[in-house]
Amino acid sequence: MRKEGWLRPYLRQHRWRLTLAAALGTLGVLSAALLLFISGYLISKAALRPENILLLFVPIVAVRAISIGQAVFRYLERLIGHDTVLRILSAMRVRLYHILEPQALFIRSRYRTGDILGVLSDDIEHLQDVYLRTIFPSIVSMVMYGLFILTLGMFHWQFAIFMALYAAMLLFALPLVSLSVTRKKHVRLTRGRNRLYRKLTDAVLGINDWLVSGRKTEFIQAYETSENELTQVERRVHAWARWRELIIQCVTGAAVVSMIIWTGHQSAAEHFSVTVIAAFVLSSLTIMNAFAPMSEAVEKIPKYQDSLRRIAEVGNDPESESGLADITDRQTQSVATAWRQVHLRLNHVSFRYPGSEDRILQDISLDIPPGKKVAIIGRSGAGKSTLLKLIQGAIQPEQGTITANGTEIHELEHHLTQVVSVLNQNPHLFDTTVANNIRLGRPDASEQQVQAAAAQAQLHPLIDSLPDGYHTRTHEMGQRFSGGERQRIALARILLQDNPIIVLDEPTVGLDPRTENVLLSTVFQAVQGKTLLWITHHLAGVEQMDEVIFLENGGVAMSGSHTQLMEQSARYRELYALDAVPSLSQV
Amino acid sequence: MKKSRMPQYKGIQALYVTLSCISLLQSICILFQATLLAHIISDLFHGTPVEDLYLDLACFLLAFLSRGVLTWVRQKVSYRFAEKTGAETRRRLLDKLFELGPSFARSEGTGKLVTLALEGIAQLRIFLELYPPRMVSTAVLPLVIAGYVFFQDAISGVILVVTVPIIIIFMILLGLAAQKQMDKQWHSYRILSNHFVDTLRGLETLKFLGHSRRHQVSIARVSDQYRSATVRTLRVAFLSSFALDFFTSLSVACVAVGLGLRLVEGSMALAPALTVLILAPEYFLPVREVGSDYHATLNGRTAADNIQAILNYDTVQAAAELDRSSSWGPDSSLSLHGVDVRHQQEAAYSLHNVSFEIKGTMKVGIVGESGAGKSTLIDVLGGFLHPSNGRIHWNEPELQSLVMEQWHKQTTYIPQHPYIFNDTLAENIRFYVPDASMDAVTRAAAAAGLAELAASLPHQYEETIGNGGRTLSGGQEQRVALARAFLSDRPVVLLDEPTAHLDIETEYELKQTMLRLFEDKLVFLATHRLHWMLHMDQIIVLDQGRVAEIGTHESLIRQKGVYYELIRSQKEGIR
Repeated sequence: MRKEGWLRPYLRQHRWRLTLAAALGTLGVLSAALLLFISGYLISKAALRPENILLLFVPIVAVRAISIGQAVFRYLERLIGHDTVLRILSAMRVRLYHILEPQALFIRSRYRTGDILGVLSDDIEHLQDVYLRTIFPSIVSMVMYGLFILTLGMFHWQFAIFMALYAAMLLFALPLVSLSVTRKKHVRLTRGRNRLYRKLTDAVLGINDWLVSGRKTEFIQAYETSENELTQVERRVHAWARWRELIIQCVTGAAVVSMIIWTGHQSAAEHFSVTVIAAFVLSSLTIMNAFAPMSEAVEKIPKYQDSLRRIAEVGNDPESESGLADITDRQTQSVATAWRQVHLRLNHVSFRYPGSEDRILQDISLDIPPGKKVAIIGRSGAGKSTLLKLIQGAIQPEQGTITANGTEIHELEHHLTQVVSVLNQNPHLFDTTVANNIRLGRPDASEQQVQAAAAQAQLHPLIDSLPDGYHTRTHEMGQRFSGGERQRIALARILLQDNPIIVLDEPTVGLDPRTENVLLSTVFQAVQGKTLLWITHHLAGVEQMDEVIFLENGGVAMSGSHTQLMEQSARYRELYALDAVPSLSQV
Repeated sequence: MKKSRMPQYKGIQALYVTLSCISLLQSICILFQATLLAHIISDLFHGTPVEDLYLDLACFLLAFLSRGVLTWVRQKVSYRFAEKTGAETRRRLLDKLFELGPSFARSEGTGKLVTLALEGIAQLRIFLELYPPRMVSTAVLPLVIAGYVFFQDAISGVILVVTVPIIIIFMILLGLAAQKQMDKQWHSYRILSNHFVDTLRGLETLKFLGHSRRHQVSIARVSDQYRSATVRTLRVAFLSSFALDFFTSLSVACVAVGLGLRLVEGSMALAPALTVLILAPEYFLPVREVGSDYHATLNGRTAADNIQAILNYDTVQAAAELDRSSSWGPDSSLSLHGVDVRHQQEAAYSLHNVSFEIKGTMKVGIVGESGAGKSTLIDVLGGFLHPSNGRIHWNEPELQSLVMEQWHKQTTYIPQHPYIFNDTLAENIRFYVPDASMDAVTRAAAAAGLAELAASLPHQYEETIGNGGRTLSGGQEQRVALARAFLSDRPVVLLDEPTAHLDIETEYELKQTMLRLFEDKLVFLATHRLHWMLHMDQIIVLDQGRVAEIGTHESLIRQKGVYYELIRSQKEGIR
């Protein structure tokens, strides 16, 4: 396992750009200080009313140049800073994807709740603040600190040390205090916010129950109480921020006064000219202001840690970096021709998840010759989805073998996606055109092939109704389409893929009976001649299958064709009667 | 920029008055601080020993710190105001959500509402905390400072005053240019920025299709396109803050150079020149602060508008409570007369002219195609929704709607996905009857067929379930809802598609339990699963929001109407 942080490698990789951005940032702040320094010098010099006005020429030009430079530096810093950060984000996205990709089929079951993928994507996005809000400002403050102390040191090292201590209060002491004061509170706030989020989601989803139970007021009161607790914490965080600002003001004021006294003494002792008094005093304000952002920059650190922790929990980088090399045309061609007909066999397959006591599947044997149509029925937890994952090669059986044409399925690795197609409950429609979504089935498909697949999925009435036909964009999550329509688009996709085995993983859950019937009719027509594995929870349509398998507690409880089961099993007859629509002749 | 009028928050006028006073005091501090500092420097310049200036130094420090203290007060005042207003708005929003009920929550989306109530309110608070003080400072400070500068040196005053309109013009022009560029590439921009999360969400599908590995390349490519598109936009977008920086610092530089030249001429003394030089950056400070907080306030404004839009929804006042406490029994009756439901004015009717009468305890099935109005009718009957029109009689009195506590107390509601709260199993069962004894809970659980599940859990009835705890299967969730119903033993049961998503065996077992629950109760059961209709005493058939037929299964079959067609179309099944 390769374990590397999510910050350091990028800092190393982009060190030159980061340095450039930080340097420009420093120049920007430095110009602001110099602007006042030279302005003060200019005015003081002018007040001496020099005979030769040319003496003022240099400071006048410098003031103008620096005033322009300040804006230019800041502009360039922001631009280069953002560019670099976006480069880093891009690299982090690729890396996160690389980590998530092998786990693709398990993400849904591992993180049962919430939109973990959306959260991770946001986390990556948040990490840009590490650079923009913490690292850059800190570097700028530190460099300014060094320059400031060095400059003073050239005049008077004791005073330089004295000012170094002053500035250190803003630069080191206050941020550390700030961090320790707020860290615990931030943790409490984040936890509290998450709890409120859950509570409120609970309430809105269960709004009927709250209304019916007559406990609405009780809920609102309880909710307000938790909100108020958080408000107290927030109030303290805010109060600290206010006090901190006041402390910064006090330190700055004291520093300026010290500076005045020092310059007074220096000029009285004629260590330097009276013309630099104004320059030193005026610029000291700006310089002290440059140290102020440090506290805020440091205070943000706990917020990043949350995001970093979540990303780190996703897992480590997979061993091989060379994943891309495997997927060349090498296999694409050869597999496609040799595997038109696939004979799928499960021999005494058992499975349990590592670390778990119970077997999810126990000694399952199935023989599925090419073109056979099998329905798999069972309660949730009976092992249906595990069986599917085994057939997809995502997990390997603990005992027994699963073979396709005699080859063990996990040896097929990536070829397997050219053998098995899956239509599940939530096929994802990508944010691109309908045609491109269908073409995902076979990227090199021609326009005609895409349209033929769409026709087979009986998508034409839908596509004709769309404003831009095949080039209509599906919008995020395909919200434009109804459940049945989305399934048809996904169906066209796998029809284009043209694999010998089709797996239907409860594709009609959530559809009303009429839509379900029409969709399944389309599917059954379109996949004729192919092997079909259909996971379903109803018996409607099982008459069309060659075999019906009931899974129970990891084993096969009943199996046989519909006719056989109707003859042999009383239980099956009972269930079938329940699922059947009431007879019309029952009057 | 589109600007909606800010809603009138309570106490905002008082806030503005306070803030104005603080700003005035602050501007006085700034003037003192600048003048004193200028004098001290000028005195030092002219050779006064530092020791003679200690009093002036103390005064300067005092002015400097007073300014800090005033900032402290200003922040506290606006923070408290924002906190109070935020809390009030949230309370009103929550009340409104409960008033608007489940159909509103469904149509708006739970996630959106929850985000609005939490993040929206937080953004509103930031807005209220930043916006009023910034506005007041921008109005007061530059005015006072410019006035004083004029008094000291008219030319510098002119330079400062003239700079502001130049800055504003440039910022508007550049803002428009940035907007135009954003608009031009907005479309591709949206796709690029969503590409990563879109890919992650579709990862499973990509894996099925065998593209997931190859896609890594496209993530890198699109991320890179996104970066160059963003940087292109930023090049223009940052120009507006560049203009702000550029003109303010150029303005300060011009003032400095001008002062220098006038000092050489001898038409000016050092002290006023320094005063003006110190005041020049102070003059621009409020404008710069507005610029840096722009985005935070923009989000807050949007949130405020969205919240206001929800608060502005009309809700009918809850129906008047009946004076006597009546409970549904064998002699009770419920009738609907010409009930209409439309979710918005001008929108299509979800229910139109619905009339029927139900007496005593019986089982009523509600069927129809999807979109016929089954769920809406259940919402009306459950007292979750005010009809737009029509009358309802519960026994004698005429009611506008059933949205009232008295009716709610008669009913149990079991939807397709009964909501399991993030709490213990026992508390979930106890939901309608919070003070029920543990004994009653176990009895209800046994009746609902939950005893076995409870026994298998590590903490039994104290096991935390729901979002964040142990997840239950669909059948187990239904059993929790049934246990709630058994425990509360309320006389009216409403069910909205309770079994369609379950596997056939679970449905079969649940049906037996449910039929037991239905005994001696008034039951409304809306479903696609027509096998239930054989157990119903009365069937209401809906068609496009209207009542098409009412009758028993047999009579409706004989009628060969909508119900007959419904069965026939399902019977055809999968061809």
